[in-house]
Amino acid sequence: MALIHVPNPPKNAYDPDRPMGSLLKSQVEHMREAESKLPLRYRQQIEIYIKAVRTEGEAARYIQAVTRAIHLAHEDAERERRAPKPAAKPVIEIAAVADQAAERKQNRARKRPTSKSKKSLGAKRRKK
Amino acid sequence: MPTGLDKLQHIVVLMMENRSFDHMLGSLKAVNPKIDGYVDGDPFTNPDANNNPVKPQPSAKFQGQLQPDPDHHFPAVDLQIFGKGSDPHSNDRKPNMQGFVASYFNQQRNLAHSQMIMYYFPKENLPVLTTLALEFAVFNRWFASIPGPTICNRAFAHYGTSFGRVDLNPIYPPETIKSVYSRLINSDPKRTAKVYYYDTTSSTMEVANLLQNQPELFGTYQQFLEDCDNGDLPDYSFIEPNYSDHQGDSGALIANDQHPDHNVQAGEKFIAEVYQAIKNNPQLWESTALLITYDEHGGIFDHVPPPSCVADKFKADGNATEVGVDFHFDRLGVRVPTILVSPWIPANTVDNRVFDHASIPATITKFFLGDYSADRSPREINADIFIEPQGPAVDPARNLLSLDVMRTDCPDFDV
Repeated sequence: MALIHVPNPPKNAYDPDRPMGSLLKSQVEHMREAESKLPLRYRQQIEIYIKAVRTEGEAARYIQAVTRAIHLAHEDAERERRAPKPAAKPVIEIAAVADQAAERKQNRARKRPTSKSKKSLGAKRRKK
Repeated sequence: MPTGLDKLQHIVVLMMENRSFDHMLGSLKAVNPKIDGYVDGDPFTNPDANNNPVKPQPSAKFQGQLQPDPDHHFPAVDLQIFGKGSDPHSNDRKPNMQGFVASYFNQQRNLAHSQMIMYYFPKENLPVLTTLALEFAVFNRWFASIPGPTICNRAFAHYGTSFGRVDLNPIYPPETIKSVYSRLINSDPKRTAKVYYYDTTSSTMEVANLLQNQPELFGTYQQFLEDCDNGDLPDYSFIEPNYSDHQGDSGALIANDQHPDHNVQAGEKFIAEVYQAIKNNPQLWESTALLITYDEHGGIFDHVPPPSCVADKFKADGNATEVGVDFHFDRLGVRVPTILVSPWIPANTVDNRVFDHASIPATITKFFLGDYSADRSPREINADIFIEPQGPAVDPARNLLSLDVMRTDCPDFDV
């Protein structure tokens, strides 16, 4: 089959100053909502006031800013999730903590109340 | 199993904007009478404001004609489908497609201007879309999912439902119904899926859920081209066109979504580029099916009344529909141009089964995941599929990729 020619659109078809239609307007509004849910440090980078957005070119700039901010926020969050966790504490410290825990357990056993005193405590609680 | 289905590994969906079947492909009836379009002499007309009949005319221009943007919100589409004087409260009204001119007249009160809504493109003015329609499979009965605007119709392509929305408000899906992308990437074995938007400046119409919560699903059109070149295309790709005229990295970029009043030739070029990107990689070409469709009709005329369908489990109340009557999603929107491309499809294939955009997640899910038991909308569960699942029991009458030997005579475009 012969190669089929596809005509180019005329250069004057490009008009970023065209007023944005209802679809782009709703896309801008969706983006505004998405922007409002971003952490502050990403929102601060989007310095476009959407009430001033009137044309396709202006809408495109705002949409780009929010889309990039969403990607950046997710990439940062993903990087944080994947960051290596702090190294484990040295063994000697763990052993020391284990010793402290054992000591605390022994102390608690020494102070453990009798079954009679447990009952009276329960009774007091119920009265409250 | 038929060879084409056996080889199929990738499905690509390209969804354009706001053009009806008759407006774009209606002229093809003169070439292939099996295509349910319009030829001069057909009885279809629409009454104008003076009740004079207006015939469709092959006078559509690429740009500058459909200003203002024809209304395609629920009340306007209700008028377009049911005609003047139809009472939305009536249970026995029938769609007659008699209200397109009346609806457009309402926007400017200009008799001559309102008739432009009945214009269609001569075949030779759309060399890409009409060639693909004649060379592969064209669907005579692919309808928008809702008689309404873009966002809710696109939602049907992603989720199989719009969760009760008939307007341009954001879609917040309940946790139970997953997008087709989530279904694939969370499956076992894991599948791959991507939404390719044109660039970050055009971005996506699926902001509130997919972009906000799963931005990793997205890639750019440039990445799509590279993925095609490198043979890295995911199992399922959904492509969004450029929705605005804006400055890109390489200079001025013209909107190519074909949404009125964007330039239709820019969209033709874009469709051809997507097609060639797949075709230029021989391994990809033999293992990929490309579906080209439009989200909705954009208020432009079509002569085929949309059928009723199974009701969804969501409803839009009378305030949301703005016609004072609840909508149960139990009838489809206006017909849109839809074409399935694969070298395993015979030329001049015309499919008469009824589809809508819920058929997209239905087909993708069935093809890549088989029997999927998690929650889906009634609309998706009952939607027909356009590609049969791989397996021994393929019904030849339903399989569009039916050739035993791959075609070598497929068209090429100079893009």
